[in-house]
Amino acid sequence: MASVVSPSQTSTIKEPSHNPEAKTKTFHIYRWNPDEPSSKPRMQTYTLDLNKTGPMMLDALIRIKNEVDPTLTFRRSCREGICGSCAMNIDGVNTLACLCRIPTDTKQDTKIYPLPHTYVVKDIVPDLTQFYKQYKSIKPYLQHSAPAPDGKEYLQSKEERKKLDGLYECILCACCSTSCPSYWWNSEEYLGPAVLLQSYRWLADSRDEKKEERKAALDNSMSLYRCHTILNCSRTCPKGLNPGLAIAEIKKEMAF
Amino acid sequence: MLRQTCFAATSKRTFSTKLSSSFPTNTKPAASVLLRPVVRNALVKDALPGAVRVAAFHACGRRAILPPLPQVIDGTANDPAPVPPANPSHGSYHWTFERLVSAGLIPLTIAPFAAGSLNPTMDAILCATILIHSHIGFESIVIDYIPTKRLPKTRMLFWWGLRLATVTVGVGLYEFETNDVGVTEAIKRIWHA
Repeated sequence: MASVVSPSQTSTIKEPSHNPEAKTKTFHIYRWNPDEPSSKPRMQTYTLDLNKTGPMMLDALIRIKNEVDPTLTFRRSCREGICGSCAMNIDGVNTLACLCRIPTDTKQDTKIYPLPHTYVVKDIVPDLTQFYKQYKSIKPYLQHSAPAPDGKEYLQSKEERKKLDGLYECILCACCSTSCPSYWWNSEEYLGPAVLLQSYRWLADSRDEKKEERKAALDNSMSLYRCHTILNCSRTCPKGLNPGLAIAEIKKEMAF
Repeated sequence: MLRQTCFAATSKRTFSTKLSSSFPTNTKPAASVLLRPVVRNALVKDALPGAVRVAAFHACGRRAILPPLPQVIDGTANDPAPVPPANPSHGSYHWTFERLVSAGLIPLTIAPFAAGSLNPTMDAILCATILIHSHIGFESIVIDYIPTKRLPKTRMLFWWGLRLATVTVGVGLYEFETNDVGVTEAIKRIWHA
């Protein structure tokens, strides 16, 4: 009897054969489970064939979670560097896993940790409560007393708008703040580069009317002046922004 | 929950993940789940006899002596972090003064060499500026590394220690300037010695 469906129209799942050209890369990933509070954090090792993995670190993590170990926990959302969820410490640098290419050198192992000096929720998920609370404390919204003259929107010139370039792109991934040694020591009181960059974003906005109040909120020894221009923030920013420069601008504005 | 963990264990075996050898309990996640109440009890401080506790103290890591602080959140997660009251003398004025002192040190250091003459007044100004500059620097270190919230007594100790040291050095420099040759001349002599 002739088959009803021709072989060209069927799909075949073949047994996986050992590939001699496999590019096996080793990943060491920080693991800690809050359900087992007495067991210490540990590094777990995974190996992946890079030929079957996407180019980015996030692809490797997703592949590990899907195919190897479903207990591995991490945050991710947009996979294109606009949400800031997958911020983590990869090979000693705070960056977004979705914007970080896997180094093709298979002899070098890759180490993945949560953002440094954060409380860990699980595996590579950090607790950013304090970071968000600090962001809220700088009132990150337009403060304007009178309604807009045309009843619709507050206008600004192109030059005034240009001042916000390099500030508004920040996605609050916390890579810079958690790379700052000053923030490691005094995160209770020092605001950290990410929040100060946003603070300057509103100080530099020509439409905002509460500049003096914003400056007064920073005018103490801890909130702003714990910045010692270490510039880890500008070096690590996965979006290529310069929080160090923004902090310097705030200091300059407040100086005289 | 148990089913999930078992599934994790099987999948690990099938895909032959290399597990780090330092963690033997991970090979039996199901067992560790069952043992969780026991593990939780182990966290509770047990009433050990004194001698055992002393032995444990000598053998334990630094973390057990100075445990990390619990994470404290002021208010709820939705409240903004508290904004400290404005205090320009510790904020913007302080920073401006510090920068002026730092920038002023450059001409003050070069001046005696450029002029080629030694003026005791200039020397005294240089000494005083260096003293203020280093005081601000050390003050910054104390603020950075001894947070008031965590170590209020140690902070006060170092605060007053620093002030005492600055006053002592100030008196010493005054003596050196008035009764001896002065800083610039001393450096010059050491340089030519």
